Amino acid sequence: MATIRVKDLNFTYPTAVKPALEDVTFSVEQSEFIVVCGKSGCGKSTLLRHLKKNLMPYGRLEGEVLYNGKAIADLDDRLNASEIGFVHQNPDNQIVTDKVWHELAFGLESLGLDNRTIKRRVAEMASFFDIQTWFRKNVSELSGGQKQLLNLASIMVMQPKVLILDEPTSQLDPIAASEFLKTIYRINRELGTTIIISEHRLEELFTMADKVMVIDKGKIVDFDEPWNIGNVLAGEGENDRHPMFYGMPSIMKIYSQCRGAGVPVYKRNDKEVSPLTIREGRLWLESFLNDKEEAAWAGGFDRKEDGDKSACEEVIKVKDLWFKYSKDSGDVLRGLNLSVRKGELFCLLGGNGAGKSTTLKAINGIIKPQRGSVKVDQSKVSMLPQNPQALFTEITVEEELLEALYYEKISDEEKIDKIEKMLALMEIEHLRKSHPYDLSGGEQQRLAMGKILLLNPEILLLDEPTKGLDPFFKITLAGVLHKLVASGVTIFMVSHDIEFCAEYADRCAMFFDGDVVSEGTPKEFFAGNSFYTTSANRIVRRWFPEGITWEEVAQWIEETWMK
Amino acid sequence: MKMFKNGLGEGSTFACCHPAVNLMYFVFTIGITMFSTGPAFLAETLVFSWTYSILLNGKKAIKTNIIFTVPVLIIMTVINTFFTHNGATVLFYLNYGRITLEALLYGLAAAVLLSSVIVWFSCFNVIMSSDKLIYFFGKIAPVLGLTLSMIFRFIPLLKSRYKEISMGQRCMGRHQKGSYLSKLRQTAKEVSILISWSLEAAIETSDSMEARGYGLPGRTSFHLFKLTQTDKMLLAAMGLCGGIAAIGCALGKTSIYYYPVVVLTNWDLMTVVTFIAYTALLMIPLMIDIIGELKWQQYELKI
Repeated sequence: MATIRVKDLNFTYPTAVKPALEDVTFSVEQSEFIVVCGKSGCGKSTLLRHLKKNLMPYGRLEGEVLYNGKAIADLDDRLNASEIGFVHQNPDNQIVTDKVWHELAFGLESLGLDNRTIKRRVAEMASFFDIQTWFRKNVSELSGGQKQLLNLASIMVMQPKVLILDEPTSQLDPIAASEFLKTIYRINRELGTTIIISEHRLEELFTMADKVMVIDKGKIVDFDEPWNIGNVLAGEGENDRHPMFYGMPSIMKIYSQCRGAGVPVYKRNDKEVSPLTIREGRLWLESFLNDKEEAAWAGGFDRKEDGDKSACEEVIKVKDLWFKYSKDSGDVLRGLNLSVRKGELFCLLGGNGAGKSTTLKAINGIIKPQRGSVKVDQSKVSMLPQNPQALFTEITVEEELLEALYYEKISDEEKIDKIEKMLALMEIEHLRKSHPYDLSGGEQQRLAMGKILLLNPEILLLDEPTKGLDPFFKITLAGVLHKLVASGVTIFMVSHDIEFCAEYADRCAMFFDGDVVSEGTPKEFFAGNSFYTTSANRIVRRWFPEGITWEEVAQWIEETWMK
Repeated sequence: MKMFKNGLGEGSTFACCHPAVNLMYFVFTIGITMFSTGPAFLAETLVFSWTYSILLNGKKAIKTNIIFTVPVLIIMTVINTFFTHNGATVLFYLNYGRITLEALLYGLAAAVLLSSVIVWFSCFNVIMSSDKLIYFFGKIAPVLGLTLSMIFRFIPLLKSRYKEISMGQRCMGRHQKGSYLSKLRQTAKEVSILISWSLEAAIETSDSMEARGYGLPGRTSFHLFKLTQTDKMLLAAMGLCGGIAAIGCALGKTSIYYYPVVVLTNWDLMTVVTFIAYTALLMIPLMIDIIGELKWQQYELKI
């Protein structure tokens, strides 16, 4: 029997004209792993919230949402609390108590269990999630990834049958995110919990999912096995592609592009399916490229493309920078050397806690390094903080942007004009009257970016700008950044997002142990790496090491096949 | 002596006992201190409170204790001397007011009493960690314990949020320039961001609480404390000593009369028994901690 059944669900928010969900019908079987994807604000969260009684949004509702044959709205409170678990986006906001162990026990305390039982269940869960080592810590000492894992564990301790997760990794760095998703997968495989998860990072989830649901404008576009999703989203050609096509894993994009060009199909158990993993991608390529000789990257590209920029002046010049936060702590920056030229989109990549954000702070002048020098015109620098909420003061999006111009000495008409342009540039015109806090994560990011850009910076520092953005808006963001760069703005960006940097950066650098260890154009940079590179590159690097983006790779496969 | 220099802090052996043991000790100690004005008892509680606070906090406790208690000592003595005109032994007249020896002594005694209570609370502060307080409030009503726990969660959260906001504003180039007034404006803005951000976040927190069954009838309060055999023995010992001392205190054996003339303690049997029981009570945690620390030193020597 289906655990969750949604039938003809229509839902409209009180003040909205258009429905947020339209004719949504689907059912989820027991122990299934369902991935829900779609653009920001497409109705994913609204749908997921309908599956938990106390989170159901207020508005006009038609149709029915059933859990084990019973309407969710009529579920018993005790059952609702223990059998359906819900994990939100923000790790910090979900934590209630001050200690890890207390947080784990919170749900069980609510259910009124006695101390012995709670202790036993908490012990079980702490062992399953491997959190014994920080069991007695204060929650404020945990990292973001640990906090989200704690949120998950404190729900799992109530032994839910269904676990719903609403973009749980959007605030986490890739390593913590990957760790978190693996835990979700383990829960599904080892405990048989039904999982319904909405996400933008699909690369890993597609390999875990039983079924994928694609939502657009409140409607289900497709609900199918992951390897079939590509067929629908790819459409009839490049112009017919669904926006969510760009959010699929690279290998699926490459595959559906090539399939259209007549390249042999991939078969698993004699059935045509789309490859999902890098391994499958390689197997697919090997099936028809077996006689192709392997190529090693010789190094050295012609530098014509950025030839004009190398002549430009260096606007950020960091020399022999040493920094540590306190006398006893280790050095975060160890003789950092770095220079960024005018009008360049420079990406600094690297692991967690390597000191990337510290580098940004040093450039911005927020911290004073102990040794070395930073040459940069501070008055021209603006920085986008990781958490956009740190910037919001006003009650509407419009006023928020106006606030940025508070100290500008220009007429009101000019201000309004600038704001209008910025709203259009950031594609948030339809949200102008909304409260900044009512926006989704991606929309908030755009608003914060708009606010910073209104300060007319000549040097823009970005700290993880793609965090929590949907793949479609990433493309828009890249467009915005390129426009800025073309107008002479220098962008220095710190990121974990390899795919984004590979596709759009002018220059990438790898940060490790307090210094830049390698640096170059995306081609030079990623072709020289063997692990720290895009997944498209990992698939073909045996034959075509300089293929970085999925488009390049797809094109190369087509051409090779034609020969 | 090293332990007195550095202080044991929260790692003290007594702090590792069950919270009921800790609470019982402080209830008896502070309770009896507050109702005892006899010089012998005052001297005793003063000496023990200082010794224990130095044992817990190390030599830096001397400085903080002086800072907190000396002003109290002076102010209370002076105020009582000049504003209370009871007492038989007149020292001198001030504006027709009688300044008496008894008022001076009573002021001094009350000041010593209050300052010892302050020092005892500094010990209480070290021993009673947030966990233990939550445990007790949870025993009274689970919701009280939870509220306390949420407060302890919110303080560091708000701090880190405020830091992030300041940083964000500095990213926008605000914060550095301007007069006193514009700086004030900027701070007000940051506080306003903090409030709206926190309120917004609180909605999600309450969602998360409700999603985990908060509000269901019959909530319990979970804790990690274990009542061991040692704890039970300590409870019994403290109950006995503290009980005797409390009875003595209730019978007025620990206090003396200051007005109209000072009548010193009459050392009858009950007073002696009370004094011994009270001394034993005060010594228990000191003994536990010193023995515990010596054991540790031996253990470390062996390795």
